[in-house]
Amino acid sequence: MVRPENLNDALKTLSRGGMTICAGGTDVMVYPPENARLLMVDRLPELKLIEDLGDAVRIGAAVTFTEGIESPIVPELMKAALRRIAAPAIRNMGTFGGNIGNGSAKADSVLIDFVLDAKLELASIRGTRTPDIDKFYLGRKKLDLAPDELIAAIFLPKPKGSWYYEKVGGREALAISRLSFAGVIDVRDGVITSLSAAFGAVADTVLRFKELEAMLTGKSLDEARAMKPDFIAAYDRAIVPIRGRVSETWRKEVCLNLLRDFLSQNGI
Amino acid sequence: MSDSIGTPVIKKDHCDKISGRALYTDDWPMDGVLYGRILRSKKARARIVDIHLPPLPEGCYIIDRNDVPGVNRVHIVKDDCPVFADDTVEYIGEAILMVAGPDKKETGRIRDSIEVEYEELEPVLDVLKSEECFFEYGCSRGDLDAELERADFVYEEQFRSGSQEQAYLEVQGMEGMWQDGITSVRGSMQCPYYVHRALAGVMAVDEDHVRVLGEVTGGGFGGKEDYPSILAAQVAVAAKKTGKPVRCVFERREDIECTSKRHPSLYNIKAAVRDGRVTALDVDIVLDAGAYTTLSAVVLQRAVIAAEGIYNIPVLKVRGRAMKTNTVPNGAFRGFGGPQSFYALELLFDHIAQKLGRDSLEFRLEHCAQKGDPTSTGGIFHFDVPIPEMVEELSKLCGYGEKHKKYAAEQSGRYRRGIGMSLFYHGAGFTGAGERDMIKAVLRLKKNRDDNVEILSANMDIGQGLTTTFAKIAARELGLPLDRVTVADPDTSFVPDSGPTVASRSIMVVGELIRRAAARLKEQWVSGEECIVEERFREPDFVLPFDPERFEGDAYPTFSWGVQAVELETDTLTGYTRILGAWGDYDIGTVIDENIARGQMEGGFLQGISYASMEQIPADKSGRIRNSSFSDYLIPTAADIPVLETIFHPVEYSDGPYGAKGAGELPTAGGAPAWLMAMQQIVCRELNCIPFTTEDTLRTLGEVSE
Repeated sequence: MVRPENLNDALKTLSRGGMTICAGGTDVMVYPPENARLLMVDRLPELKLIEDLGDAVRIGAAVTFTEGIESPIVPELMKAALRRIAAPAIRNMGTFGGNIGNGSAKADSVLIDFVLDAKLELASIRGTRTPDIDKFYLGRKKLDLAPDELIAAIFLPKPKGSWYYEKVGGREALAISRLSFAGVIDVRDGVITSLSAAFGAVADTVLRFKELEAMLTGKSLDEARAMKPDFIAAYDRAIVPIRGRVSETWRKEVCLNLLRDFLSQNGI
Repeated sequence: MSDSIGTPVIKKDHCDKISGRALYTDDWPMDGVLYGRILRSKKARARIVDIHLPPLPEGCYIIDRNDVPGVNRVHIVKDDCPVFADDTVEYIGEAILMVAGPDKKETGRIRDSIEVEYEELEPVLDVLKSEECFFEYGCSRGDLDAELERADFVYEEQFRSGSQEQAYLEVQGMEGMWQDGITSVRGSMQCPYYVHRALAGVMAVDEDHVRVLGEVTGGGFGGKEDYPSILAAQVAVAAKKTGKPVRCVFERREDIECTSKRHPSLYNIKAAVRDGRVTALDVDIVLDAGAYTTLSAVVLQRAVIAAEGIYNIPVLKVRGRAMKTNTVPNGAFRGFGGPQSFYALELLFDHIAQKLGRDSLEFRLEHCAQKGDPTSTGGIFHFDVPIPEMVEELSKLCGYGEKHKKYAAEQSGRYRRGIGMSLFYHGAGFTGAGERDMIKAVLRLKKNRDDNVEILSANMDIGQGLTTTFAKIAARELGLPLDRVTVADPDTSFVPDSGPTVASRSIMVVGELIRRAAARLKEQWVSGEECIVEERFREPDFVLPFDPERFEGDAYPTFSWGVQAVELETDTLTGYTRILGAWGDYDIGTVIDENIARGQMEGGFLQGISYASMEQIPADKSGRIRNSSFSDYLIPTAADIPVLETIFHPVEYSDGPYGAKGAGELPTAGGAPAWLMAMQQIVCRELNCIPFTTEDTLRTLGEVSE
């Protein structure tokens, strides 16, 4: 195990290969890879910061969920999702970066990263790049992350307008999402200026359909109400759930129910 | 209150367990001990054609059926479950052989590199397709055909229930040793003498050459009643072959996939209704026994006996069968056949009440058995049945009447609510003639020269607090402070056979032996001298002796009674249901320790609720269990039950210590029907299948609204 003092040292170690990155350890420690050499990033000061950038928040990858919940600047929508993650002990250890690095479409904070169009800061000794979250997820457990790259931070835009969040697990706590949904909508003078909707735990990655969201953008609430059946029907066609712990039928129905309710709550 | 025996004390094992000092089987040092890893069948039914073994490193061993010195069968009730598979395997997970070696990983690698050639046979995975009946029991009274003929109408319904995993915190674990012709085994278990007898047969030695030590055990719920005998036989055979101690502690997946569970059931019931009353019941029960008989005979008996619910119906016919399937053998699980019957009977009566336009609770109370009424097996309810008073108490506590009426009206909006109430009992003690003819419990108290007293019993503290409650009984009778009485380690080389830790019998039966022994010891008390007092089980005088051949008489001397209510709220957009509150009222006789009893009632109730709602064991087409980890097999946490209230309604029992009777299993029987009745108010439909999941809820809501 190596526990570097700063990001530079961590990136140098990482570039030499053969390391398994460990932040909070809530994934790695459950089934540790055999003979794994752990690169502990949990104490890197550069990865522990939460910064207010005005329209967005920069959250260090090693910030824990509990720290996120307690922060005055993390958006409430993100906090709503964080509060439903596992249980206090795991939230004390689990991190924003780890949730992303795990690569699961069920990761609760990642749903919010998607719905808010977050960007990631990926660091390596070669430099830094900042891909969009939806470009970073290539497929089930497939990430656009080079072996020498480390997730350093998340740039999370603050939601404009009102938001909606729902998670369905198998129980109240310590529950992997069976389905999660987040929606954000901004209405100015009766006109929808922006709308986004994301579905977690439905397919290999979090689902978002920007071309469908565009159907309602720029429309008045009256127009949107008239278009609602077509809008829902379009999502019905677009969402192709996978079968897992729950059936495709249930997943599809709940996705559409929550989408419908999200719109209703906002006068559509 | 402080002079009441029920006043809570700090549990005897509290400090050891809360501080982490208590050593479970997996915690002992490994000095010179070999790890045992078991190779298991990947086929539900097959003939083993050949087994290809890799070259073995020095110090590693293969142990299989050829190494069993005695009979290759583990004695449980019958002797049909092999120690290691013979020519065929009968379920996925059946043990074929064991690899033993000094390094755990290496031993696992060797096991995983063994190739088994199977000739696959057609497995029976659906109990309805099974043609092999392991056991059949029944009971009857009156002329069923005549009553069905006379009825205003005959109501028919089918009820199904699924499987359930005990989910004890500590997995199965056992260590075997062989020294000087003596087989000794220690580990996690409920019944040291069951293991003891099984080992004598497998090792072909007399019982003096067997020693079993029950160690710190992290939960059982029935799951450590029969299975430890199988694992003990495997490590004992391995220890004899290798000449070294061999320890086998399961992985969680292995434990969930290969050990016993609750019997899935199918009930077909006909009820004759005449003049607004149920006048006859015809109950046909099918239990899925799994691949071997293990404890199915006794589970089936309890299900058959409870098939009249808490009711007294003039005409009764019950027929129960336990059928073989090629699935993991089902065995003991808290309630032991009772939860299946009470779930079906409570819902049946509720549905008949609906049909008659009657209030369900009122209708059920009209049929409730009373003191002096006959039991299903022609015995007698010898004591007061406090159900009506308990219903009143509990209704007041949870506001049942008002809520039930309110939720029955049409509900609109995203969230809907419902409340349900169940009435049930648990027959206290071993079923039928078991205590008298088979167990014949023996208990000793040993007073040492220092005037401290040891309780010598074979019962296990599996978390239910027995080392504390046993000591409380003896201390009270002797007039000694609690710290002067201890419960000796359950080691068969020096404790007598006080019987298994099962059937909610420990306090009522063994506790009473402790009390009687303590009373005698007190009479003989001479300070500074050693003294041993022995007590043996005697059937109480009032009991109508049970005849196992005719299946008639008092199957239990007395009953513990329960009433439970559950209030739910469902999100109609997702089908997800939250428990708003759960309330239970219990007659377990005198409460020996209020904290311990409350813990038992709360845990058992929650287990009953999740049996109906959350817990399910889906298998794929080959019969393999798909959810063998705790991230996939969900059990409730404290967060799922924000309001959980327990009250007691003690009716003292004449032949239990200070009036105590059976406790541990009772609360598990009522959770499913109470939960399901609450759900019926939400989905506006009669339900007869558990588990009823989030998906089922959403689907039913959709069907009803169409």
